[in-house]
Amino acid sequence: MTNPSLESIKNSVKDIFFQPRVLVVDDEVRIQKACKRLLTEEGCDVEVAENGINGLKMLEEKHFDIILLDLMMPGMSGLDVLTDVKAHHPDTVVIVVTGYATLEHSIETMKKGAFDFLSKPFSPEELRLVIGKAIEFLRTLQDIATEKSRMRVMINTLSDGVLTTDNQKRIALANPAFLKAIGCRNTSVLGHHVSEFITDPRLLDMIDQAINQPESTFAEITDEITMPFSKESEGDVIIGVRCLPFRDRLNRNLGSITLLHDITALKKVDQLKSDFVSMVAHEIKSPLNSVLMQLNVILDGLAGDLTEKQKELLQRSSDRIKSLTTLSTELLDLSKIESGLINQDREDLDLVKLIADQVAGYQEKAGSKSIDLIMKETLTEIRMMGNRTNIEEVVSNLISNAIRYTPEDGQITVWACEKTDCAVINVLDTGLGIPAKDVDHIFDRFFRVKNEKTRYINGTGLGLAIVKSIVEAHHGSIEVESEVDQGTCFSVYFPRSAYKI
Amino acid sequence: MSEKKLILVVDDDPDLVEAVSMKLEASEYRVAKAYDGEEAMEKIAEEKPDLVILDVMMPRKNGWEVCEEIKKSEALKDISVVLLTAVADSVKTTSYTHHDGKTTLADDYIPKPIDLDKLMEIVGDHCE
Repeated sequence: MTNPSLESIKNSVKDIFFQPRVLVVDDEVRIQKACKRLLTEEGCDVEVAENGINGLKMLEEKHFDIILLDLMMPGMSGLDVLTDVKAHHPDTVVIVVTGYATLEHSIETMKKGAFDFLSKPFSPEELRLVIGKAIEFLRTLQDIATEKSRMRVMINTLSDGVLTTDNQKRIALANPAFLKAIGCRNTSVLGHHVSEFITDPRLLDMIDQAINQPESTFAEITDEITMPFSKESEGDVIIGVRCLPFRDRLNRNLGSITLLHDITALKKVDQLKSDFVSMVAHEIKSPLNSVLMQLNVILDGLAGDLTEKQKELLQRSSDRIKSLTTLSTELLDLSKIESGLINQDREDLDLVKLIADQVAGYQEKAGSKSIDLIMKETLTEIRMMGNRTNIEEVVSNLISNAIRYTPEDGQITVWACEKTDCAVINVLDTGLGIPAKDVDHIFDRFFRVKNEKTRYINGTGLGLAIVKSIVEAHHGSIEVESEVDQGTCFSVYFPRSAYKI
Repeated sequence: MSEKKLILVVDDDPDLVEAVSMKLEASEYRVAKAYDGEEAMEKIAEEKPDLVILDVMMPRKNGWEVCEEIKKSEALKDISVVLLTAVADSVKTTSYTHHDGKTTLADDYIPKPIDLDKLMEIVGDHCE
């Protein structure tokens, strides 16, 4: 008794370790035997036919990957067999074996679709070489086919919707998640114009914009659309749409890619968060503000004279309340920025230009501390996909941090570079440096390095937390190298998405 | 010395209005009070203050609207307006701009929590 699952494992193993099946069609027994022995040694599964008619019959019964075909045989000629094989079994590779290899002959067989030819008599080495070449060819074909089906399975199992079109807006691929999201029950959409199945005007407009984007720009178009029709769900479904052109090496638009991501849950949480945030703003901040005001009025002596002790106590409570109001203000800032990161426009950014603008903007501030703020030249253009405001925020925060934590007469160097598929922003200073025990915490919200040197430096403890949120929303990473009293270098890595072929 | 300048303090938080008023009165200003935007407009029409300290987030009529009404009126546009804004944005100070990005016509602003000395300085500048 055989175990069916074991059997299927065996079969799949066989599929993975591709064993080529070879049919030798030759009337000479000597050649039949020699080929069979040699090719079996090479790991092939070999069968033999003594003439063309039999060979074709065996091909009808099962698939052969390679045929070694003798041209001179009694009965049906090799050329006729070749024609028949190519007509009915186009996937089979035919190697022609000929005793009188003239040039014209060889050309004719190649024209009829032969993969290669061997002239008799041939050495075992020659046979190995030709068969090896054929196997390599078959493997490549199989790899492509496997990769293609793996990709198809992958895209079809994605829970995000994926649609690709050509530049005439005809559908090249639409996965089940996409069809479900647009409420389309029709499964044969390939080759049809998008407007036949997509009804949402904004979605059609976005595809249109992506395809008609001029060569000089490359932007990802982002929006949210509401899909009200889904029967199973109770409320509306909110979908984050990203749409971008698909380009060749010469920057010509070949088509568009559209991605749909269900952000309903995210939007709900975001709404809760902003409700909470405005609650904090109103219900906590306002009373704190007025308590602070009252304390200050008393401190000013406007409500009567105070003893020194009373003044001291009131001053301390006033300071504590002030830091509480600052804290709530900054929490609001952070949550505002973070909620803005959910679904936003990205464009192709010229990083060198962006950094140069920020460096120029901070010259005055750096100058006032006699800090030399310089931008290192970059030889090539460095580009990345990102949200302009966010990336400016990152560069701006890193530079202003560097200025704050670098003593007078120091130096700050900013530059962009490329490292294996990443665009990198570097900010290097000759500042105070970060103690090793604090490095792991500098991206925590409201964390600030506390020691006698930093005591008089103003900061919110939020700048780097904001930088980190933005970098993560862009699928990037950030690294810090620092030595106390020597300086710090921040490097931000952004993946450079390759949208071109 | 000329007559004491009249300052209208507008905020929906009475404690804050009280505290600011005490400070102003101590510095030789006359003070009028209002607790929302509608009331502010009435007081402005009645008492013609020299300067209005105006909270932004208020019921009935918000500070942006009050400010716009003052500055668009021929009769009132000479009144100085100082906005009290809690919409502090430590990242980019958009003190003079609406949430929708429109520039307001206010003369100055002071963020909450109010630094009383800073406030007196600003008030002094606009009450020359």
